[in-house]
Amino acid sequence: MDITNLIEPFENALKNPATEVRQWKSEQRRRVVGFLMTDVPEELIHAAGFLPYGITGGDAEMEMAETHLQPWVCSYVRNSLSLALGRKLEFLDGLIIPHTCDTTRMLLDLWKHIRPFPYMEDYRLPRQIDRPSAGNYLIKELERIKYGLEQFAGEPIDPDTLKQSIILYNHNRGLLRRIVDIHAQDPTMISSRELYTLINGAMVMPRERVNELLIQIEESLDKSSNHEVNGKFLRLLLSGTLLEPFEILDLIDSCGGAVIGDDFQNGYRYIETDVLVRDDIIEALAGRQLKRIPSAAFDIKDRPRRKYLADLAEEKKAHGVIFLHQSFCEPENFDYYDNLQAMKSAGIPAIRLETQFGRSALGQMRTRIQAFMEMLGGGSQ
Amino acid sequence: MTSGKVFKTAALMKEVMARYNEAGKDAKRKSIPVAWVTAVFPVEIIYAAGLFPYYPENFGAVAAARKVADKLSSAAEARGYARDLCGYARCGIGDAYATEHPIGEILKPDLIFCCNTQCGSLPKWFEVAGRFYNVPYFLLDSPRVGIETDQLCKSYYVEQLHEMIAFIEKVTGNPFDYDRLSEVLALSNEACRLWNEILDTAALKPAPFGFFDASFHMAPIVTMRGTQEAVNYYRVLKEEIDERIEQGITAIPDERYKIYFDHIPCWPKLRWFSELFASRGALVAVSQYTHSWAYSFDLERPLESLAESYTHEFVNRCFDYRVQRKIDFMEKYGVDGFVLFSNRSCKPNAIGLYAKSKLIREKTGLPGVVFEADMSDLRFFSEAQVLAKLESFFEQLK
Repeated sequence: MDITNLIEPFENALKNPATEVRQWKSEQRRRVVGFLMTDVPEELIHAAGFLPYGITGGDAEMEMAETHLQPWVCSYVRNSLSLALGRKLEFLDGLIIPHTCDTTRMLLDLWKHIRPFPYMEDYRLPRQIDRPSAGNYLIKELERIKYGLEQFAGEPIDPDTLKQSIILYNHNRGLLRRIVDIHAQDPTMISSRELYTLINGAMVMPRERVNELLIQIEESLDKSSNHEVNGKFLRLLLSGTLLEPFEILDLIDSCGGAVIGDDFQNGYRYIETDVLVRDDIIEALAGRQLKRIPSAAFDIKDRPRRKYLADLAEEKKAHGVIFLHQSFCEPENFDYYDNLQAMKSAGIPAIRLETQFGRSALGQMRTRIQAFMEMLGGGSQ
Repeated sequence: MTSGKVFKTAALMKEVMARYNEAGKDAKRKSIPVAWVTAVFPVEIIYAAGLFPYYPENFGAVAAARKVADKLSSAAEARGYARDLCGYARCGIGDAYATEHPIGEILKPDLIFCCNTQCGSLPKWFEVAGRFYNVPYFLLDSPRVGIETDQLCKSYYVEQLHEMIAFIEKVTGNPFDYDRLSEVLALSNEACRLWNEILDTAALKPAPFGFFDASFHMAPIVTMRGTQEAVNYYRVLKEEIDERIEQGITAIPDERYKIYFDHIPCWPKLRWFSELFASRGALVAVSQYTHSWAYSFDLERPLESLAESYTHEFVNRCFDYRVQRKIDFMEKYGVDGFVLFSNRSCKPNAIGLYAKSKLIREKTGLPGVVFEADMSDLRFFSEAQVLAKLESFFEQLK
């Protein structure tokens, strides 16, 4: 069975998120709480009765942010704020911004002043996660977020409801991970573009509906699989904060490659870790956050990012690595040199592409990716 | 009435800082661990533990003031560290890789401590340094604080101070001496008290001392608070300022206006700015920056007190708190206008500055301007643009 029809709703949701979300709101008569990608406890938002909505970018007039943000502020934040200023996020009732860098740490207050939503919250993540104090603090910070959501909802979050939300999200992550595995075994079954469309589409759609569709996709993939590993493709590891633009994936797919691993906020990092289902739910949520795969925002002593990437490249037998970095992303840039050295030591060729959210120079990127893949032994098919 | 006379104490400052730098080298020779720390960091604990605290930010500021930030930075840029990273960080990383050291080599760390109250650039820079020098790295994490006292942030920080002290005890093999901490805190209190008395003289009309003087004289309060040397230094400076008040020596000739300035000075252009403002009869009197070191520790509850001070520093506060604090300073010093430096090396201070400027204008009715530059890297400084902005600002002063 062709899975194209099943992937289409995800594509549509990413292209026109407002349409789908508005429909959900009018059917459900419930509210929507947005977040910047992706270190937020969506399970809490869901359990409080809101639709968690990830701001994944969109067609924004980026100039609208110019009077509020300096030109050196990253393009994801410019894009997100421009969407709000252009009234393209009017369906949101709330917003949570996780502190993963200086820009996100300063953004919510500014946003409040220029285009407020009824509910707005900073999620003050701990920036060291190795010592016991980090977990103790994070539990209390999560309790604070929970309390704020309850105030906005007008009622407390029922522990059983929260447990159900966790089960729902774990199920979702499990389904997506299973599809990731199928893709890595044989990318002709489901392409890189299709895979990341599912992961990102999940962020802007009701999770119940996402899981229904994913179950069908997985069944369909299982049926058509010949259960053999397809070795005839270039295996690429991608690394960065945000996977964008998706045209890169088309290019990789069309050059006979596949993305077999990544550490993006809107990639594998989003789905890798589950929440333990247990009674001390907030501790379990904190536990998940602390166990997420390393990113530029969190230096983990016993699991440093460069080692994680090198190990992943080895485990997945990657032929090459593409560092996909947003211009002006300071944390990412601080990590780059040492990440690159780790790749060099592991003998894995790497290139770095600089992106501008919604504004990347695609032609130039195409040329560089093609040259890189030819160098690795692949090429246009 | 005379003005613009060089402070006698300036010579002492050079001596004091030379002694401090020599003490760093001496620590290396004597195998006293050199601990890198950040400007807003409970250095009192480092002094009390007998480690030598070193400030790579100070290294960055000196490189900037001597106009070699771009040269030092190039060794970092050649390795893929982008030009838009914090200028201090590029100088520090650049110096690690550079073969030439135009301001002398950065003092190599044995331990790296960082507090992220100021920003997220410092921890990323210090992580890189920890890997480069292959030494332990310890982050004191300070989540952002709102308008009110934040108990959660405070208790998290206290817990981390305990973790840090245990870490230091392990490294040094000595139990931490809380009596010594009390002494250090008392010295820190005294230096901060003197420093803020000195800063307050900028409110006099005309004033003997202004922001550009403070930028020159601030090194000891940043690097040596908690020592007798810092207390001695500011006593001498305070005496000289009192003399100047008696003798009618003013910071600038013909002071007609007082200006509020945020935040860090543009180091390589310090003299250019100071002369420009002076030539317009405008004394830059006050900045949140130089007022950062205004601690008053409670010796009865040292760790709690350190946690309150270092987490609740203005740079770690919310938008509304910071706007109000700027306005409070403007009122206290009776300023006639404000100049806000949108410093691309300092995101926590620069982001939101346009909105803050608008709000302050509305609330105070004062003229104000925001200009773009970098605190250390002249490649991001357009003299014509900055001058045009400031000229139109000067025209609005009444």
